[in-house]
Amino acid sequence: MPRACGNHSRPRYYRGRLLWGALLLLMQGALASAAPRIPDSDSQVLAQLPAGVRHTSASTLEMSRSRIDIALPLARFYITQARASGDLRYLGYAEGMLSPWVHRSPAVPAALVLDATVLQSRHAFDAALTELDRALQLQPDDAQAWLTRATVLRVLGRYDEAIISCSHLQAQAGADIASLCEQSQRALMGHLATAYATLSSMPAQALPVQALAWRDSELGEMAERLGDDAAAERWLREGLQIAPRDFYMRTACADLLLRQHRATETLSLLSGYEAIEPMLLRIAMAQAMLADPALTRSRAMLESAFALEQQRGEAVHRREQARFLLDLQQQPQAALAAAQQNWAVQREPDDILILLRAAEAAHRPDAAAPALQFVREHALEDARLAAYLRPGAAT
Amino acid sequence: MKAQYWLALVILLTAGLATSAQAHIASNGFLTLQVHASELDGAVELAVRDVELAIGVDDNHDGTVTWGELRHNEARLQDYVAAHFSMSAQGSACVLRFKPLQVNERVDGNYAYLPFAAHCPGEARRLELGYSLMDGIDPSHRGLLTLVDGATAQTAVLGGANTRAVLEVDAPSRLRAFQEYLQAGIWHIWSGIDHLLFLLSLLLPAVLIRRQGHWEPVPRARPAFFNILKVVTAFTIAHSITLSLAAFEVVRLPSRLTESVIAASIIVAALNNIFPIVIESRARIAFAFGLLHGFGFASVLADMGLPSGARLLSLLAFNLGIETGQLAVVLAVMPLAYWLRTGVLYRRALLPWGSAAIAAVALVWLVQRAFLPTG
Repeated sequence: MPRACGNHSRPRYYRGRLLWGALLLLMQGALASAAPRIPDSDSQVLAQLPAGVRHTSASTLEMSRSRIDIALPLARFYITQARASGDLRYLGYAEGMLSPWVHRSPAVPAALVLDATVLQSRHAFDAALTELDRALQLQPDDAQAWLTRATVLRVLGRYDEAIISCSHLQAQAGADIASLCEQSQRALMGHLATAYATLSSMPAQALPVQALAWRDSELGEMAERLGDDAAAERWLREGLQIAPRDFYMRTACADLLLRQHRATETLSLLSGYEAIEPMLLRIAMAQAMLADPALTRSRAMLESAFALEQQRGEAVHRREQARFLLDLQQQPQAALAAAQQNWAVQREPDDILILLRAAEAAHRPDAAAPALQFVREHALEDARLAAYLRPGAAT
Repeated sequence: MKAQYWLALVILLTAGLATSAQAHIASNGFLTLQVHASELDGAVELAVRDVELAIGVDDNHDGTVTWGELRHNEARLQDYVAAHFSMSAQGSACVLRFKPLQVNERVDGNYAYLPFAAHCPGEARRLELGYSLMDGIDPSHRGLLTLVDGATAQTAVLGGANTRAVLEVDAPSRLRAFQEYLQAGIWHIWSGIDHLLFLLSLLLPAVLIRRQGHWEPVPRARPAFFNILKVVTAFTIAHSITLSLAAFEVVRLPSRLTESVIAASIIVAALNNIFPIVIESRARIAFAFGLLHGFGFASVLADMGLPSGARLLSLLAFNLGIETGQLAVVLAVMPLAYWLRTGVLYRRALLPWGSAAIAAVALVWLVQRAFLPTG
């Protein structure tokens, strides 16, 4: 073959190196990127700046360091943006705003609660609890702090403590919110049917709009655990009408559809949410069901994103990573390792499910033991787990 | 076409595909370093969005950052990076020299790519890095470091509370340089097919003997072996001389000239098999043209650079790599030629038509290298 026309002064040495360079690139899937380049034209747009992403002069930044009335609303704005867009960078900006106010003594309780929200979003649950306890010491009747505390404790599977936190809501947030909080814990402690009946008979007028979406989301999950998929879908769709940007509810709805192999509906439910990792995972799973060639791209993006998280030493999406490895990559051993790491961090029913599934796929019934123990201990009911709980099923 | 190009191409394509939509991930900076004795090559990469937050590059405040805006702020960006990223070897600071700014597309969008060369006092054995990019803006920002040191790679995560990292570059650098250059030599000869074609053209008739205008097989292995030995030795001595002269910059020839003459040398060697003029002393052709092939090898070495402190050793390793690669090919091909030499196929088809094919390919190269504009 004649040499490629062109670069005569940088000869063959580079060809051999190209292979190694490419292999290195592959190994660093995390860093997957095309080669650096110089854009052709000055007018080429490199980035669209999202809301609130502008350079602030040093003096303005300095002001936010010394004035709580600037720092708190900005931090709230960033957290709202993070929730609305799924963009994790906003959490960092919020953390930056809050940092001077949580590291001083005495700290500002409102800043501690917001910081706990940031930490919770990063699945740093123990650190979040520490911040909440600090806030509640300074301000024992902070309803938001108690509610966030209940949510975090529930994710950790510490339901008894969560119920105590719920009871503190009564005075500030009202009996209905406190009941909603408590019933959502009881539903995981052997009282699923009762909790479902209590919440579904709660008059909608009793709750503010945000709490209504929350109730729908709880009812949706309860119905699914009861094995009533049709009712679950009704609740989740109703909740999404009220709170379309509730990512948690949307992924729950997608999981329900995927379990019923309704791939096309999953794709339309998640259309426009591709940038958010947990959503992209569900999109990829639907694409796999439909043998959609777009799967290649989704898979590559997920792989890069998970690898970067791993390199950063974070566990934000370990549950999603386990599902990715199990269902899309057919790597049961790696999936089990991720599910186990996830189990060390959080204990929601979905975390139980992925651990049981991965242990089964990896032929490691011993690995399922902690999850089975947890289910027995709390008398946790979930129709999706039934197949794994039958005597002898896991062995 | 070699399989390796396809592989590389496929990987690059899929990597490109992965970036055409963007994912929401936490803020990362990427730091890549490559150690060559006291010299380091590297790059710092910061998301364009993070660059805006750090120094403000959206000059017309329209909510988008263009390449023009980024480029106009190149000096400020370099100052910002220099103020928040430092490197020292054994406690003494390394000097960073930025190369022109580029752009790199990653899974979460475009990154400003700042390549640099760093010069450290003495060999980089114990590298200490300081990293505080995005400090005070995004505490969750992390610098993901990959340090490539010969065949090994180390990674580290910087940022947050962890603003310093110490990396031991522990493999003795002379051995590493030796390995690196040996490997480069082997790769070069294997992927640089023109040198091999020249050598093969001279070696194809080594298992034959010319009698009354006809090729006849050598009766025994001994004369064939000595034919091969003479040609290979002459070629090796010749290209070693010029490679050394060029590597130490005693003599320098324009690459267009050497590359063209290398192509011409293949034509001469191949045609000599079809219309034999030089028969007994092919080793002289090997020597004469070997001098020019040496300059060709040297251009590769010029691209790699010789590490200061291990120049002679690296040159030796590179040359040794070339000889090793060349010897492997000779050992693979010549026994086969010896085995085939008695058949008509070898003398009537393989030698003349093979040589004609080689000459044709080399002619194309000659035209390309000598007359077509270089890119």
